[in-house]
Amino acid sequence: MMRVTMGSVSSPARRPDDPSRDAEIMRRIREGDRSAVDELYERFRRPAFALARRILADDALAEDVLQEVFLSVWRDPAAFDRGRGSVASWLLAVVHHKAVDAVRREESQRRRQVMAEDELALDAPMATRDVEEEAWSRVVADQVRTALGVLSASQREALTLAYYGGYTQREVAALTGTPLGTVKTRMLAGMRRLRQELGGPPGGAAPGDTPSLEEPQA
Amino acid sequence: MSADHGAFDELAVGWALHALEPEDEAAFARHFPGCARCAETVAETTEVMAAMATDLPQAAPSEGLRSRLQAAVAGTEQVHRSAAPPAQAAAVPVPRLSRVPRRALAVALVAAAVATIAGLGIWNVVLGAERRELAATIAEQREVMDALMTPGRATIAPLDHDGRQVATVVARDDELQVLAYGLAVNDAGSTTYVVWGLGESTPQALGTFDVERPQMSVRTVRSGLTGLDDFAQYGISIEPGHEAPSAPTEVVATGQVTS
Repeated sequence: MMRVTMGSVSSPARRPDDPSRDAEIMRRIREGDRSAVDELYERFRRPAFALARRILADDALAEDVLQEVFLSVWRDPAAFDRGRGSVASWLLAVVHHKAVDAVRREESQRRRQVMAEDELALDAPMATRDVEEEAWSRVVADQVRTALGVLSASQREALTLAYYGGYTQREVAALTGTPLGTVKTRMLAGMRRLRQELGGPPGGAAPGDTPSLEEPQA
Repeated sequence: MSADHGAFDELAVGWALHALEPEDEAAFARHFPGCARCAETVAETTEVMAAMATDLPQAAPSEGLRSRLQAAVAGTEQVHRSAAPPAQAAAVPVPRLSRVPRRALAVALVAAAVATIAGLGIWNVVLGAERRELAATIAEQREVMDALMTPGRATIAPLDHDGRQVATVVARDDELQVLAYGLAVNDAGSTTYVVWGLGESTPQALGTFDVERPQMSVRTVRSGLTGLDDFAQYGISIEPGHEAPSAPTEVVATGQVTS
């Protein structure tokens, strides 16, 4: 599936992750500074919305999820545990969690549509364009896509159904005609492989594990 | 590293992906606190997920959301975990005395019921079946899960027949549902199942339902009820005709409220 290419933008990525700034914003939120929520929102509204929208296939529901998430960060900023990774990945995980909760509340009909719209979404015109941010996003997205391409088809399928589709492991098993245990193994192996491809230390917390626990699949 | 930790490695990934089944989620929730290795796996998975989020078409929410969020933040106070119990603790409903306590229906509470259902193998989808059928099966399972997982207060009573669980009663403020997974299909033309509330006084008929197929199904047997916490036990009987008699004739399953 080709991704739409926007003109000839080739400037270097200008919006790299800025973990220290994110941590600073979280500190201000913990101190009760309401304007810091605005900043957090400004920094993450796009990726958060893109993710919620992908899972829910509904802009209004996706906005509801965003409001719920950012409001919950304001209410209880201590939910973010600094020892467990970056603000960015934590926030997106919260968005993912709430969006999956929301899609599970929705009728199953919508979920089927998400599946059908997957391919379309990749080619859809971007709702809002910011040239530099888009260039940065494309660089990152290309890395992720390349990394995803290294996975076996079955590993990729298991991870993307769970992550983008919001399906449970048992649902992924049923959808792919695979035993549940195999789905679990594929998700773990796929995650480790992706992490390795994306620049994490090989092996990580599980020294000795081989990156691919199952045969590549055509 | 212990070899038998592998299962938890897998659950940690599913946990981060919010993709675990309730029984796995309950098992992992018991294991997770204090496990550094699982904390690491969850953190790694979370980072990988964030990377996957970048592989999406960029889009921005409407401008209206910013002002809605600002208004919501302006009207919301923060919680302080380490401080004294927050003021809203007083608003938590106090359980009524001498009644079966009713609690929020948390995932963990239904885990036992769901584990039972899963153990029956109904959730196992035949391999190689058409995807359309699989999707339909999942939709049915989803319906059942939604019925179980609907937020709110509820009481749950798994009902046994000869030591085997055959149904679960889920009683809420506004309706009474029966999740049937082991009751025989009845002849709806001449018989009916009746749900009974069992307490200190005589059994009270709460509603009727039919079992139309051997597969797991959910039946709403009555709506608009109040006072469901009057019962510590529920029972199901099979009766001739279409109406509930004044007392059960043939009780086929009974069970205590567990939550």
